Amino acid sequence: MAAQNEEGDPAYSLRQIVKRFPGVVANDHVNFDVRKGEIHALLGENGAGKSTLMQILYGQYGRDSGDILVDGQVCALDSTRDAIRLGIGMIHQEFMLVRRFSVVENVIMGIGDDKRWTVDLKKAADRLRELSLQHGLHVEPDDIVEQLPIGVQQRVEILKLLYRNARLLILDEPTAVLTPQETAGLFVVLRHLASMGHSIVIVTHKLHEIMEISDRVTIMRDGRVVGAVKTALSCKDELARLMVGRDVSLRAEKAPRQPGKPLLQLEGLSALDARGARALNAVALTVHEGEILGVAGVDGNGQSELAGAIMNLASITGGRVLFDGEDVTRLSPAAHHELGLAYVPADRRHVGSLGELPIHRNAILGRHRQFASACGLMEEPKIGQFADALIERFGIRPKRPDYLAGRLSGGNLQKLILGREVMRDPRAIVIEQPTRGLDVGAIEVVWRELIAQRDAGKAILLISAELEEIFNLADRIAVIYEGRIMGIVKTSEATIEQIGLMMAGEAHPANSGAPQ
Amino acid sequence: MKGFSVERRLMPVDTSLSLALITLLSVVAALVIGGVLMMPFGANPFLAYWQLFEAGFATWRGFGFTLVKAAPLIMVGLATICAWRTGFAYLGFEGCLLIGAAAATWTAMQALPGAVLEGVPFFMFLPMVIAVSMLSGAIWSGIVGYFKSRFGGNEVITSLMMNYVAIFLVQYLVSGPLRAKGDLPVSPRLPENTWLPYLFDGSRAHLGIVMALVATLLVWVLLLKSRVGYELIVTGLNPKAARYGGINVGTRQLLASFLAGGLAAMAGTVDILGVHHRLVDGLAEGTGFVGIVVALLGKLNPIGCVIAAILYAGLTVGADAMQRQAGLPASVIFIVQSLIILFVLASDILRYYRISRVGPAKTTPVEVSG
Ligand SMILES: Nc1ncnc2c1ncn2[C@@H]1O[C@H](COP(=O)(O)OP(=O)(O)O)[C@@H](O)[C@H]1O
Ligand SMILES: [Mg+2]
Repeated sequence: MAAQNEEGDPAYSLRQIVKRFPGVVANDHVNFDVRKGEIHALLGENGAGKSTLMQILYGQYGRDSGDILVDGQVCALDSTRDAIRLGIGMIHQEFMLVRRFSVVENVIMGIGDDKRWTVDLKKAADRLRELSLQHGLHVEPDDIVEQLPIGVQQRVEILKLLYRNARLLILDEPTAVLTPQETAGLFVVLRHLASMGHSIVIVTHKLHEIMEISDRVTIMRDGRVVGAVKTALSCKDELARLMVGRDVSLRAEKAPRQPGKPLLQLEGLSALDARGARALNAVALTVHEGEILGVAGVDGNGQSELAGAIMNLASITGGRVLFDGEDVTRLSPAAHHELGLAYVPADRRHVGSLGELPIHRNAILGRHRQFASACGLMEEPKIGQFADALIERFGIRPKRPDYLAGRLSGGNLQKLILGREVMRDPRAIVIEQPTRGLDVGAIEVVWRELIAQRDAGKAILLISAELEEIFNLADRIAVIYEGRIMGIVKTSEATIEQIGLMMAGEAHPANSGAPQ
Repeated sequence: MKGFSVERRLMPVDTSLSLALITLLSVVAALVIGGVLMMPFGANPFLAYWQLFEAGFATWRGFGFTLVKAAPLIMVGLATICAWRTGFAYLGFEGCLLIGAAAATWTAMQALPGAVLEGVPFFMFLPMVIAVSMLSGAIWSGIVGYFKSRFGGNEVITSLMMNYVAIFLVQYLVSGPLRAKGDLPVSPRLPENTWLPYLFDGSRAHLGIVMALVATLLVWVLLLKSRVGYELIVTGLNPKAARYGGINVGTRQLLASFLAGGLAAMAGTVDILGVHHRLVDGLAEGTGFVGIVVALLGKLNPIGCVIAAILYAGLTVGADAMQRQAGLPASVIFIVQSLIILFVLASDILRYYRISRVGPAKTTPVEVSG
C-alpha cells in the first residue's frame, strides 16, 4: 500500500507490526497510516486484531517487531507515557473513569506536575470549560461521573485526551454503548475535531457508521490488513466482503406471508423498572403466528421491562398477558417456558448465559429439568448429545461443549442462546436486541434463523433499537417511547422518517394502537 | 526496547498446571519468610520444617491427630461450599457447629444408664445422632436463610450475631440443663457405646474422617452431578440468569442454608463423639471460621477442600510438635499458616497477567504462569 502523497504524508504510521499472543498472531506484519485532519475507520470482525493494534500504538502492549513513525520519524514508543508525549490518546471500549470522582478530577488524574504536591482544581476546571466550549463538548466540571449518562461520560473521555493535547484520538468501538442520538452527537464532535487538524481513528464493525463518518477505511481480517480505501470510492458491500472474506447479504430475504391466529396478546400491560419507577405504561400488542412484530425505540424506553413483564420477570402493576387465549400473567417464568414461550434477553453475558459454566451447562439453562433422571441426577450423555447438536446446527465456534461460555465471542454466544431457545421448539419467541455488538457474519445467521422461525409459523416479538434490523425483519412495527406504544404500522407502508419521529415521542397520525 | 513487560491477559489462566504452580509458589514464599523468622532462634529452618512435616504427616500417631483435626474442618468447608456457591454469604458455621455439638450430646445422653436408649448398639445410634444433629443445625441456619429468601437483605451480620447466641446457649446448657453433677460446668461423660470408634490401634483417628469423606462424596455428587446442584450453582453465579432460567432463587437459597447448617452441625457432632465425649464450653475454637478458609483455599471445590483441610490440620499438629522439639515458638508456624492463606488467596491475581518479551527481536512471547 503506497502512501498517497496527494493528501499529505501520514502523521502517524505503523510499519510491519507483529504481535503474537499464545496461540494467535493478533497482528501479522500490519501497516497502518493516519493523516493529519482525517477520520480514519479501522474495520474488522471481532478478533481481527483491531484493539491489539491500537493498544500497541497507544503503548499498552509491547510489539514483537515493527516500527512506529510519527511525522516520518521512527519513535521509541514503549509505554503509554511515550504515547501521550507523542500526542496519542485512546478511549477504550470500557471507559477508564473513576466513577465516584468529579469530571475535572477525572480529567486531570495522572497528569503529574512533578514539582508540586497539590493540584489546582479550579484552574483545571477553567481550562476544561474553555476546551468544552471550544469543541462543543458540553460538560459540567463538578458533576460526579457516575451520575452522568454514557454519552456524556464519553465526552469526558474525549476532553481528557484534549486536555493532554492529544493530536491523534483513537476511539475503540465508541458507538457500541450509545443511543442513535448520542452517536449523531459524537459524530458532530469528531468532524469538528478533524477540521481543527486532529487525526481520529474510529474502530468499529458497523458499516453504516463508516460510510457516514470516515474519510478512509483500513480493513483487517485475521490479524492482517486486507485493504485500505477511500470511503467515498467504496461501498458497504465491498467493505463487508473485505471484512468477512466472502460475499454477505446485508439484506434479509423474506417472502410475504399471511399471519395466522393471534398467539401472544398484551392487554394494558404496565410494569416498574428495577428502581421501582414506572417503565411500562398500558401496552397493548398482539403477535400472530407466522409474524414478526418489531418494537422499535431508543434504548431505555421500557423495552427490557416489556420483555420482562411478558415473562413475569419484571414487577407487573397492571394488565394481562394472554398466550393462546389463556391468561399467563402471573405464571412463573418456568411455566412460561413450558407453555412454549421462549425469551432471548438483551444482556447475553449476564442474564442469558453463565460465563463461568461450559457451553453444555448453558445449553440446558431453562430446560435442565428435561435432562435430569428420575432420581435427580443430570444425564450427562444426553446433555452432551444435545450440546453437540446445538453446536452443529448453529455453527458455534469452537466446537467444544466444555468451552466456557464466557470465553465465546458475542456472535457465538448469541448463537448458543438463540439456538437453545429455538431447539425447544417454542410457539412464540420474545427476542431483545438480538444482534447488538455482533459482526456481520453473525448478524446474518441470527437474521436468517429468525425469518426461518417466522416462516415455520412461530410468533416473534422483536425488540430492537437498530432500525435497519427492524425494517429488514419485521412484518409490522410498533414504536415504544417512554413506556408507551406510539403507534403500529405495517413495514411495507412505513418510512424511516416516520418511525424516527415516533421514536422521538411523536404519535402516529393514524394511531390505531390496535393490530391491523 | 528490549526487556520484559507485564501484560494483562484477556482471560485468567485456568490450566491445572499453572494453578498448581501458582499455589506452590505461594506456599514456598510463605515457608521462606517463616524460615527467616526462625533465624533469631538459631534454628535450622530445614530441620524445623522437616520435624514439622514428620510430626504432622509422617508418623502414624501424628497423622492420626491430623485426621482428627481435619474431619470437622472438612465438614465446615463443605458447608461453606454449599452456602457460598449458592450465593448465600453465610458466616454462622461456628454457631451451627455448637448447635450440632449440643444436639449430639443431648442424643448421646439418652443412652446414659437409665435413659431410653440405654445400651443402644452404635450402628443404630449413629443414624439417629446424625439425623438429630443435622436437623438442629439446619433449623439454626435456616432461620437466617428464611429471612434472606423471604425479605432479601444481608445475611453477613445476622449470621455472625447468631454465633454469639449459640456460644451463650452452650454455656447455658452446660451450666444448667445438661450439667453433670460436680464442680465444673460440663455435661456428663457420654457412654462409650456412643463414641465414634477409633480406626487403627496406636492412632487417635476415629470414624469422623470417614464420615467427612462420605459427606464430601455426597456433596460432590449433589453439587456437580444433580439437578438441584445445577440450580444451586446457577443461583449462586447469577440470580438474574437463574430467574431467567425458571429457577426459584429464594427456595434454592433456603435449601443451601439448610445444607450448610446440617453439614456444619456434623463438625460439632464428630468433635463431641470422637474427641471430647462431653459438651464443654469453648469447644469450637474457631473451627467454624478456619473451615471457611479451608474451603476458600480449596477453591470452593469439595475435593480441594479435603486436601486443604488435611494440609492445614497437619501444619497445626506439626507446629505443636515443632515447638516441643526445636524450641521454636508455635507462633512462627501460625505466621507461616496465615501467610500461606494470604498468599494463596492473593495469588489469584497472578492468573490475570503474563510476562512477555518486548522489543523488535524476533522472539515468541515467553509463557510464564506467574
Ligand atoms: N491479552 C490478550 N491475551 C491473549 N490473546 C489476546 C489478548 N488480547 C487479544 N487477544 C487475541 O488476539 C486476537 C485479536 O484480538 P483483538 O485485537 O481484541 O480483536 P478486535 O479488537 O479486532 O476484536 C483475538 O484472537 C484475541 O483473542
Ligand atoms: Mg476490540
